[in-house]
Amino acid sequence: MDLQHLAIASVPMQPWGQIYDSQTALKKGTIFQDLDMSFFAADDGGNAGCCCGVSEAGDPQQQERERLMLEIYQICFTVDDLRLYLDTHPQDVQALDMLKNSLLQRKQLLADHAMRFYPLTMDCMADIYQAGAGAGCYCWQEGPMPWEGACV
Amino acid sequence: MWTYEKRLQFPVKITKTCPKTAQLIISQYGGPDGELSASMRYLSQRYTMPVKAVGGLLTDIGTEELAHMEIICAMVYQLTKHLTIEEAKTAGFDAYYIDHTSALWPQAAAGVPFTALEFQSKGDAIADLTEDLAAEQKARTVYDNLLRMITDPEVREPLKFLRTREIVHFQRFGEALEKTKEKLNEKNHYFYNPEFDKQMITRE
Repeated sequence: MDLQHLAIASVPMQPWGQIYDSQTALKKGTIFQDLDMSFFAADDGGNAGCCCGVSEAGDPQQQERERLMLEIYQICFTVDDLRLYLDTHPQDVQALDMLKNSLLQRKQLLADHAMRFYPLTMDCMADIYQAGAGAGCYCWQEGPMPWEGACV
Repeated sequence: MWTYEKRLQFPVKITKTCPKTAQLIISQYGGPDGELSASMRYLSQRYTMPVKAVGGLLTDIGTEELAHMEIICAMVYQLTKHLTIEEAKTAGFDAYYIDHTSALWPQAAAGVPFTALEFQSKGDAIADLTEDLAAEQKARTVYDNLLRMITDPEVREPLKFLRTREIVHFQRFGEALEKTKEKLNEKNHYFYNPEFDKQMITRE
């Protein structure tokens, strides 16, 4: 592997390197600093944050949900990027450790969101029924549709 | 089998109506280098891949592209949600409005409808992975071009995210090609097609 040959494309295997925390990774579009290759016309001077900020005014319940939702976005994106890396680097123990931690956090955050607000997946419905909290409710249609503004 | 998670992969919250921007961005829904093409390309190619891990990677990237399609659609939807007839007339959205009102329909910026002719599923791992590398580059160029034209930060943030994803996917397809090379004849990569001439693969 990694040998260059005539008449065929070669891309070097990526070594494990510096990793962004999950908040930065979501803004950048990757957890890997080495793959964060910006475009000059996309440079907004570092001022533009992730547009899913938490509403400044309004309902504290709403703000609470937005905070939790943003955390879900961040940790789930770390899982997404790690999964692709592990697809081509299945033996990488550092990536695997990070995946294990991130998956546990994801599971916990999704369960929290289901218990406190509404379920994001069918598996989260099981969390609700198991706790008996909303046992009488078919809650799958609760909450805004994703395209209506993620944190709304 | 797929299951739905009720959120986008990257948050989209656009507060200003802008049919002109919607008209440009819709290309990444149904255009030649759009997310619909990307997902259908990878999800079609995966079945016959000679390296199991490459079929797995195509499934995972193809799935992520479906989520990118949803991000693009959410952007077009939010940009035109409160469209008035006056805005539709003046902002270059008039022809689209006549056919689709403010509904989502996969087309390129120039109005060409989505078609499977935009991608290939060739049945040769080298040909297909080389197409996939090119596809990620072409999609990156579209995002570059959009970022040169669009100034609204609420629109730019998801576009920047999607642009970086193209670069990450390029890297992964490159790695998939390296893994595929291990299945080929070392002296002549084109001696046989590992997707079809299975009896000639000697190394596992």
